Amino acid sequence: MSNDTQYDIVVIGSGPSGQKAAIQGAKAGKRVALIEQNREVGGSCVYQGTIPSKTLRESALQIVRFQRTTEVFEFKLRDDIKIASLMKRLDQVVKAHGQFMKEQIGRNNIDLFHGRAKFLSNREVQINGIDGKPLTLSAKFVVIGTGSSPRVPDNIPVDHEHILDSDSILSLVYLPKSLTVLGGGVIASEYASIFALLGVQVTMIDTSDRPLRFLDKELTDEFCGAFEESGGKYQGEQKIKEAHWDGYSKVITTLENGDKIESEKLLVALGRIANIKGLNIEAAGLTPTSRGLIPVNDECQTTVPHIYAVGDVIGPPSLASCSMEQGRRATCHALGLDPGGNPENTPMGIYTIPEMSSVGLSEQEVIEKFGGAIVGRSKFNEIARGQISGMTIGLLKMIADPKGEKLLGVHIVGEGATELIHIGQMGLLNNVKIDSFVENIFNFPTLAEAYRVAALDITKKRRR
Amino acid sequence: MTTPTTISTEQEILEELRATLLNQLEQGKLDLPLLPQVANQVLMVADDPNSDSSKLSSLIQQDQALAAQILRIANSPAYMPRSPIVSLQQAIAWLGLNMLSGIAFSVSVQSGVFNVKGFEKEVKGLWRHAMTTGLFGKEIARKIRHNVENAFLCGLLHGIGKPVILHTILNLRTTSETKPTWSVIEQLMNEYHVQVGKKLAESWKLPDPVQETILMYQDHMYAQATSPTKGAMITCLATHMASFQLDPSSIEEDVLRTLPVVQDLNFYPEDMDALMELQDTIRSSVECMIL
Repeated sequence: MSNDTQYDIVVIGSGPSGQKAAIQGAKAGKRVALIEQNREVGGSCVYQGTIPSKTLRESALQIVRFQRTTEVFEFKLRDDIKIASLMKRLDQVVKAHGQFMKEQIGRNNIDLFHGRAKFLSNREVQINGIDGKPLTLSAKFVVIGTGSSPRVPDNIPVDHEHILDSDSILSLVYLPKSLTVLGGGVIASEYASIFALLGVQVTMIDTSDRPLRFLDKELTDEFCGAFEESGGKYQGEQKIKEAHWDGYSKVITTLENGDKIESEKLLVALGRIANIKGLNIEAAGLTPTSRGLIPVNDECQTTVPHIYAVGDVIGPPSLASCSMEQGRRATCHALGLDPGGNPENTPMGIYTIPEMSSVGLSEQEVIEKFGGAIVGRSKFNEIARGQISGMTIGLLKMIADPKGEKLLGVHIVGEGATELIHIGQMGLLNNVKIDSFVENIFNFPTLAEAYRVAALDITKKRRR
Repeated sequence: MTTPTTISTEQEILEELRATLLNQLEQGKLDLPLLPQVANQVLMVADDPNSDSSKLSSLIQQDQALAAQILRIANSPAYMPRSPIVSLQQAIAWLGLNMLSGIAFSVSVQSGVFNVKGFEKEVKGLWRHAMTTGLFGKEIARKIRHNVENAFLCGLLHGIGKPVILHTILNLRTTSETKPTWSVIEQLMNEYHVQVGKKLAESWKLPDPVQETILMYQDHMYAQATSPTKGAMITCLATHMASFQLDPSSIEEDVLRTLPVVQDLNFYPEDMDALMELQDTIRSSVECMIL
């Protein structure tokens, strides 16, 4: 094998995890190859996932805000605003982000290969280019960051025309009159709330009694309230028997209990599967788990010590923010570099309408761990900034120990929740006392004031 | 004394027709056909959020020829009716509103614009190519998870300028008494169908992504298209696939598989294999839509 094809690190997949793994390697002075099967770098995060759904959400919110202001300025928006105009903005954002990432890879002298990767052995990776020509690279270390794709259940024929997944939902050119969403997880809840806000009649169906079950119940109750206010409907504790396009005009979803739900389109958002098909990981000595994931240790190291796996391909939390950090840490570990302290209190952001975000322990976890909890609450419509912005929905919950002194968790639902959470995160990381939120001054009027109000609520509930 | 008959060479006829056509284009005097009335109304009904099958049914009933075609298509093997479809109401119930709108639109455009006396066989070929392109467009869009419905319309109408040029040429008053041959007409259609199609698309107020496709579906142009639906790029490959399917000698399979658009759509050899395997399905779907 020639020197040209020998690398210190070969990274498969240019999504958030792979990209950070590659950049860390290049910054450490190593020769790095990055293999991407798509023409553009960035992975699903940029083209089908995080960036497009958040851009669509933002555009939907802007349209709704604009529609509301028409009452003030006495003009009317066309009723037939096409989703294509929302998508155009999305296309611009995606292109800009993709270009930025490509430049970043170029600046770091990473060799970018366009093709599908396949292990030949635990140190050799073959790239099958789009022209069908193979090229084999050898590497001291390999990082697998191939991401995930929407899971398609056997009983639901996704045709990307009437029955869509979370990739093809982004190609709609008009808003359907009705949409059934299968699933109660992050992707299902995000799209359900966006389309409901845009006036689509949305029905969410899931086995769980409430969507986003891993979140604080008060948060999801607020979310469900807002969703229903937009015309959405959540049907919990239901199993799907089958779904099909009737060949005429609607998709029929049949539940185990015999109920049939008709809608113009159906979105299947029942989880994601790791992209390991075609990788031939067995040739590298790797075996996937029963759930089709690549098993790794705390350092993202697989059972083959010089092969690492990062991001969605190793399973939860499947957050872009965590994937990036996994990529960086995997390369640091491979090269014997100090990655710094382990990240604690990673926040979780859900871009539903309204947004939800969470960091630290839940109320239940605190009760189980400390034998009790004091919870402070602040509603956005009771603080000045919330009133100015006309917020009817919004809640910040601070969870403290039974004495009401130590901050242990923050849970927020409402506009700006995913930004606001970082105050709580810094508080948790620095062991900030509840009293500090009361004694210090926040800008006024801001939503951050909700921290102060919630902290005051805790102090009032302390045993005297 | 007899008047000498002007016998022009094919080249002379071509140049004369080209000059006249160019002149009409530049002067904006091109006689654009109206969007067939039924097609226009079908588009309006389909765009109306409050539309229902009864509106479409009454619309189709106004055109007996169209109604007959719809019944024929509804009974074709491609739509597999459980029992023979004998009424329009039954066809509507079986095919559904969306499908019926598509068929009604296609049939009315076909019988309107794609209907030229004396060149029936050739025009049928143009229509077959348009339908095949539309159906390949759907499959390409499905593969890359782009909008399938939009891809069909883009493919169907990408070459709509061609039959318009044919109408125009046959109505031109030329000094020559010799009728232009099909090869002359074909050359002019290839040269000017994009410009003419653009004018027609504007006149018919076709959706923006379709207008963009008509203007930019060709190999040297699709990269300039900006619509997120990628209609131009999808149609570019779809039209090559249609040409290959209808006349395998028109392009070598190896050349087809290595076209820049194949790479730009990120189609790997195995993806092209999958597309090639759809040829029989698409062929039979097209045949049942041909009048």
